[in-house]
Amino acid sequence: MSRPLRKLLDKAGMAVCVLLLVSPALLFFLWMLSLSLKFEIDNGAYPPILIPDRFAWKNYTTIFEGNSFLLYFWNSLIVTGAATLFALLVGVPAGYGIARMRAHKSAVVIMIARMTPGLSFLIPLFLLFQWLGLLGTLWPQIIIHLVVTVPIVIWIMIGYFETTPMELEEAAMVDGATRWQIFAKVALPIAKPGIVVAFILSVIFSWNNFVFGIVLASRETRTLPVAVYNMLSFEQVSWGPLAAAALVVTLPVLILTVAAQRQIVAGLTAGAVKGG
Amino acid sequence: MASVSIRNVRKSYGPVEIIKGVSIDIQDGEFVILVGPSGCGKSTLLRMIAGLEEISGGTVAIDDRVVNDVPPKDRDIAMVFQNYALYPHMTIADNMSFALRLKNTAKSEIAAKVERAAGILGLGPLLGRFPRQLSGGQRQRVAMGRAIVRDPKVFLFDEPLSNLDAKLRVQMRTEIKEMHQRLKTTTVYVTHDQIEAMTMADKIVVMHDGIIEQIGAPLDLYDNPANMFVAGFIGSPAMNFIPGSIGGDGFTTEDGSRLPLGGRVPAASDGRPAVYGVRPEHFRLADEGLAAEVVVVEPTGSETQMVLRPLGVKAGREDRKRELTWVLRERTGARPGEVVRIAPDPALAHLFNPDTGLRL
Repeated sequence: MSRPLRKLLDKAGMAVCVLLLVSPALLFFLWMLSLSLKFEIDNGAYPPILIPDRFAWKNYTTIFEGNSFLLYFWNSLIVTGAATLFALLVGVPAGYGIARMRAHKSAVVIMIARMTPGLSFLIPLFLLFQWLGLLGTLWPQIIIHLVVTVPIVIWIMIGYFETTPMELEEAAMVDGATRWQIFAKVALPIAKPGIVVAFILSVIFSWNNFVFGIVLASRETRTLPVAVYNMLSFEQVSWGPLAAAALVVTLPVLILTVAAQRQIVAGLTAGAVKGG
Repeated sequence: MASVSIRNVRKSYGPVEIIKGVSIDIQDGEFVILVGPSGCGKSTLLRMIAGLEEISGGTVAIDDRVVNDVPPKDRDIAMVFQNYALYPHMTIADNMSFALRLKNTAKSEIAAKVERAAGILGLGPLLGRFPRQLSGGQRQRVAMGRAIVRDPKVFLFDEPLSNLDAKLRVQMRTEIKEMHQRLKTTTVYVTHDQIEAMTMADKIVVMHDGIIEQIGAPLDLYDNPANMFVAGFIGSPAMNFIPGSIGGDGFTTEDGSRLPLGGRVPAASDGRPAVYGVRPEHFRLADEGLAAEVVVVEPTGSETQMVLRPLGVKAGREDRKRELTWVLRERTGARPGEVVRIAPDPALAHLFNPDTGLRL
């Protein structure tokens, strides 16, 4: 076999493998997109229709008209934003401390908190929030989302700080920096890619969280996943608007991930130590 | 500038003692090099002077002030690390001025000091760049610049040249020495490379297994090594050691050859086993002396290095350490397999006690 042909076959084989691997994720999105653009009548058609003759843009307009979609979007933004911000404020220094003090046991404790089913926190916390009179505000959801976001941030930051070269901090120590200055002026700027990763994952997990919202949210404090769920009613399931809503809910996270990807890849430590 | 006084310093990690009671006096402005094989504790000792390692026992004093419990930032020392440890997110100028900015030094003063250091090291055009945009030698210079800007009491260098290629290493060696002659800052420098130690130091401290084998000026260590370790460690190629015994007015090797002692026979030592140490450049061709077969000839241009196997020593891995090295200035037509007769210069030879390793 000639070499160019062999190379081509190699590439084709690779492409097929990649396609096979990503197809579950891709097809699922494609089908959702298709659903969101079809009229109800096309949804049940057999054989199934992927690209309809007429596009049902109405599906998209109805979600913004009928429900308080913008309110729920705002709720989601506040809950995810606040939960992520708090998580970064607490988790980044915590991850640094754990990494530097090699406090692996406390890291495990945090891991256990993450592994415990969220529902087991819910009931006592629900009672607590009721007692505090916080139900009906967004606070219960913000606070309980910390159960998800804080461990993620801490664990990612531990891993990141453990890989940053110790010599840099020793150099800063000799240069006259205090512990806090070393953290703020040396460790933190170098950990920027790690913080970006922690931020994105925290946003994704918080944004997509459903269980906490369904229990703790009232009509006015629903977040988007709960709002989408509420579009399923007993009488009928309107697949078109549902798929459209689901896509709109996913979109911000999707955009965020794509936009920040480069940040993650750009290793900032290049040139810090030997080599390069 | 300052003196550094290390008194009976010990360091242990759990039950393992890394440094076993070390005392060194470093004068104001002196360039002292700690040298030894890896694992001898030299870097740990340097880090204890810097305050990056706790001191298990003894005291370290900078300018007569014991600093055992003083954090690194208050010791007024500057350190150059093996991998440079430049802050990757700061420009070269910011890297160099970091310490001054921490102390809230006036901007004009910072600019002047950075400019001066950049001038000394030829870093002027690089000040706006980031470490990742610099070559290894340039990074090394920045690391030194960061130390110079501080104008500290003591410079500490931790194997600063070991990440550079051979040519650059020689160049930086000269630069560091020149810098010291200019600034006259007390310097403690750690290396495993005895050539670096010989060429740069005012005073060399040879360490081995957590103890000091010998302290002295470079040529003093070369000419008068205290023991076999120092004799073998200082000098390249290493000193030849020939086992045998003292007898009459000479030395008899294990295979019966006679080597001269030049009348320097230690008292009451007739028949006593000893090791005869002679540097590779202290052999010459002779009518009598050791007969040896040429194994390898390595001409470098300026000199020729030869590996010789004394007759009676078998070829093979075990007897490799009984082979001799001979360095001669002139070029030679000797070929492998030829037999030559060489004799050491007795005035420059040393005798060692084979049990203690100490020089007789």
